[in-house]
Amino acid sequence: MSLTTSTFFNNRRKAEIIIVGIIAILMIVVFPILNSNGVISNFTLSIWGKYFSFALLAISVDMLWGYMGLLSLGQALFFSLGGYMLGMYLMRAIDFNGIPPFLGFLGFKDSLPAIWQPFSSFPFAVAMVLIVPGLLALAFGFLAFRSRIKGVYFSILTQALTYGAYLLFSRQELRMGGDNGFTDFRTILGYDIRSDETQRTLYVITALTVLLTYIGLRWLNNTKFGLVQRAIRDSENRVLFSGYASAHYKLFIFVLSAMIAAIGGALFVTQVRIINPGEMTTVKSLEAVVWCAIGGRGTIVGPIIGAVGVNSLKSWASREYPDLWLFILGLTFMFAVLFMPKGLVGLPAQLKSYWAKWRPKDEPDPSPSPPGDDLAISDAVTETNAPSTSAPASNIASK
Amino acid sequence: MKLSAVALSCLLFLAHALTTAQGQAPARQIINDAIVEEDQAKKRDLIGSLSLQADDTIPGLLSAWSDGQYFLYTPPEGAPIAIELGAEKDAAGTAAVTKISDGQPLVDPAGQPVRLKADQLTSVKTNIGIRRAIKGVLDVLELGATDPVKRLQAAKTVGYSQALEKLPLLEKRLEAETDPEVLKGVKEAVGLVKIKSPDDKVKLEGFQLLQELQTLGSYDLITAGLKQAETANNPELVAAATAALKSVDSHRSFVNFFGTIFRGTSLGSILLIASLGLAITFGLMGVINMAHGEMIAVGAYTTYVVQNVFGAGLALSPFGFSIMIPGMHATGAWYQTYFLFALPLSFIVAAGVGILLERGVIQFLYSRPLESLLATWGVSLVLQQLFRLTFGANNVQVSSPVYLSGNWTINDIVFNWNRVFVIGFAILIVFGVWLILTKTPLGLLIRAVMQNRNMAACMGVRTNRVNMMTFGLGSGLAGLAGAFLSQIGNVGPSLGQTYIVDCFMTVVVGGVGNLVGTVVSAVGIGLADQSIQQILLNPVMGKVLVLLAIILFLQWRPAGIFVTRSRSLD
Repeated sequence: MSLTTSTFFNNRRKAEIIIVGIIAILMIVVFPILNSNGVISNFTLSIWGKYFSFALLAISVDMLWGYMGLLSLGQALFFSLGGYMLGMYLMRAIDFNGIPPFLGFLGFKDSLPAIWQPFSSFPFAVAMVLIVPGLLALAFGFLAFRSRIKGVYFSILTQALTYGAYLLFSRQELRMGGDNGFTDFRTILGYDIRSDETQRTLYVITALTVLLTYIGLRWLNNTKFGLVQRAIRDSENRVLFSGYASAHYKLFIFVLSAMIAAIGGALFVTQVRIINPGEMTTVKSLEAVVWCAIGGRGTIVGPIIGAVGVNSLKSWASREYPDLWLFILGLTFMFAVLFMPKGLVGLPAQLKSYWAKWRPKDEPDPSPSPPGDDLAISDAVTETNAPSTSAPASNIASK
Repeated sequence: MKLSAVALSCLLFLAHALTTAQGQAPARQIINDAIVEEDQAKKRDLIGSLSLQADDTIPGLLSAWSDGQYFLYTPPEGAPIAIELGAEKDAAGTAAVTKISDGQPLVDPAGQPVRLKADQLTSVKTNIGIRRAIKGVLDVLELGATDPVKRLQAAKTVGYSQALEKLPLLEKRLEAETDPEVLKGVKEAVGLVKIKSPDDKVKLEGFQLLQELQTLGSYDLITAGLKQAETANNPELVAAATAALKSVDSHRSFVNFFGTIFRGTSLGSILLIASLGLAITFGLMGVINMAHGEMIAVGAYTTYVVQNVFGAGLALSPFGFSIMIPGMHATGAWYQTYFLFALPLSFIVAAGVGILLERGVIQFLYSRPLESLLATWGVSLVLQQLFRLTFGANNVQVSSPVYLSGNWTINDIVFNWNRVFVIGFAILIVFGVWLILTKTPLGLLIRAVMQNRNMAACMGVRTNRVNMMTFGLGSGLAGLAGAFLSQIGNVGPSLGQTYIVDCFMTVVVGGVGNLVGTVVSAVGIGLADQSIQQILLNPVMGKVLVLLAIILFLQWRPAGIFVTRSRSLD
């Protein structure tokens, strides 16, 4: 029996690798080639680039929520912080003697505020994309996890953090462009940021980042670390009693996911070419949670599917039915929370279990098992249960 | 336009006719003489002499002069006299003539009223000197006006201009004044004028008077006086001025301090009203209701609708349907009472929406608090869009009833009525909620279910019903808050979003499940916010600092100010 399950898992894993490989080749190689031949429009390509940067944001939400039970409403903050950091480099790259126009209006004619000085260097900006959100997450997470703030409190506190940052960034005093934020970028590393080739390259980089993140996190989840992470989600007290410093695990994941979100934000800025405090609101964080919930949390594919799916729906609905878009989003969301706790990814298993409940009425069990064959029955039970992997997931649902 | 001008001059004429009936010839005679006088200096003196006259007609007459309504008429024999033409002209273009000297119609030797045409006459010229003289007289005359507001204004004008020549007048006024507020104003004016005096002794008196009065407006002038005294190198004056300045300063910090406390308390009350409903749904029931803000908006929009029902009615067009809500076209006091009807209605409507929400969504999520957060966020999006489609994306106008607009100024601290009202209202609501929770059977059931849902169910409590009622109560309170917030802030589709973060922070800081904690934290946050604003003079930075302070505070007390102790291990 153990042999059959392990072959099953092996098959499953092989299937996963094959499917992911095919999709990856399709998105990373075929898509851009088709674009350069003019089959796929630049618009479509750039929209997919945006979806993939959102996918990184959704993954960062999922790492915390789906895998560790921490619903962070501050991911949009880390996302836009990443965007702002790269945005500062891009603003410096607009050639106005290295002084961004809005700072010129604020009276900085010859010299820049100190925080703007080093951002003429691309490597520095890229480092900051990781360091600034990472440090913020470290400081906030350290404080929050040390005093064992969790569950709803954690959500509310991260919400407050985001709100505070939003207020701060909306002010001109911060020298970050106020409500208008950064826009009107021209070049990146000397290339014209608006040219088709640059955009295509950026798209490929984004898609590759998503793939690498997927592989990396998939690996992390299969390590002992990943097991502890999920154990914290299911019962933090037992983890604590078993002698694990759960706060350290949480802090590590919090910082890691902040960095993933920040990378997403940086890639977002290069392709959408605008960043402002509007990206930094709780609403944006909640939208990312929606993607995650609809795609299926507790998996890594789920958030990607959710981000791409919900955003495609958004692009379509806000074009066709602009008034109704929020209704569609709100109702989809309520439906997903109430009736699809495992999201799109969990849908097959969910349907299967409905099917299993419903089937016996039609055709009763073919043959009552002979006495003394308990083992066979339990085997059969594990066989049917194993593929659906519903056990841990239903645990979250019932919590 | 022309018609109204004619009507106005008619009125003026009428007023003149009336005042002449009382017969105050001297003032009129002086004005006539001043007009006729050729020498500019004498002319100004004559005008200036009017400021000592106690006559209510002088301002009208002088204004008419500076407006150029007077003419000079030289009769066939005799000296020229000043006249005014009536407004009504006959076919020949002539009008009745009034003499300025006594207000009587001008008659020819035969005793017949004379009628004249404007273009046959020379109009009385004014120049800047005359106009200034007239203005000076008018300023001072206002000091004697019957309306105390005008008197106070006049005293302030004279005081801040530090017109030394008007000191005797002010001192005369000081003896006659009975209204305490005006008296204070006049005293201040005397003090301010005195410190301008060249005589050091008078100056000293001025500083001492100002030190006693502690009026905030005198600060800048005292500072100027202090500088002068320093340059004049007069230690006695410097000491007096410094003392006066200190005294005003201490009064200013007193006013700021209590003003901040008042504003902080009222902000805290606003927070309290807005978050009390959340303290029940989140604190007691454990439901993260992200649509709480929209419940507030439901209340605010209900107030808006009620207001329009009392007024001219309302046309709504959600989803392309058009709904006409007829209005009662009420006016005056009856219209003002709309707010009293709006209060209970907004409670009922929001409670109804809340009960629908509980039955439709939340009852399935009691065991999954994080998911109730997400589902109710979906609800909040839908509701916001519903508001936008029904009432438009812009803010709607909710007028304040008369009894909520206005303020008291006590000792220079401004108490706005609506802010005072909000404090009283908050106390009332908290008391009401406390009564419901502790003195009614429903309250008993609510507390039982919230403490242990399963146990309560085992004892035969219909927990479903209790949940529904509790959520209805919490939502209704949010609606009530909305009715009140419509008086203070804007009412728009995103009204709820402005309050939701603050509400959650208030409840979390107070300690979940504890109403006393909510009260303390609401007032505390309100006071902290206003104090930081007062220090930083920057509302946004104040808010950011408060958020930061709250995050740090929760380090120290992770479960809020008041912890509900339990031995359960989540």
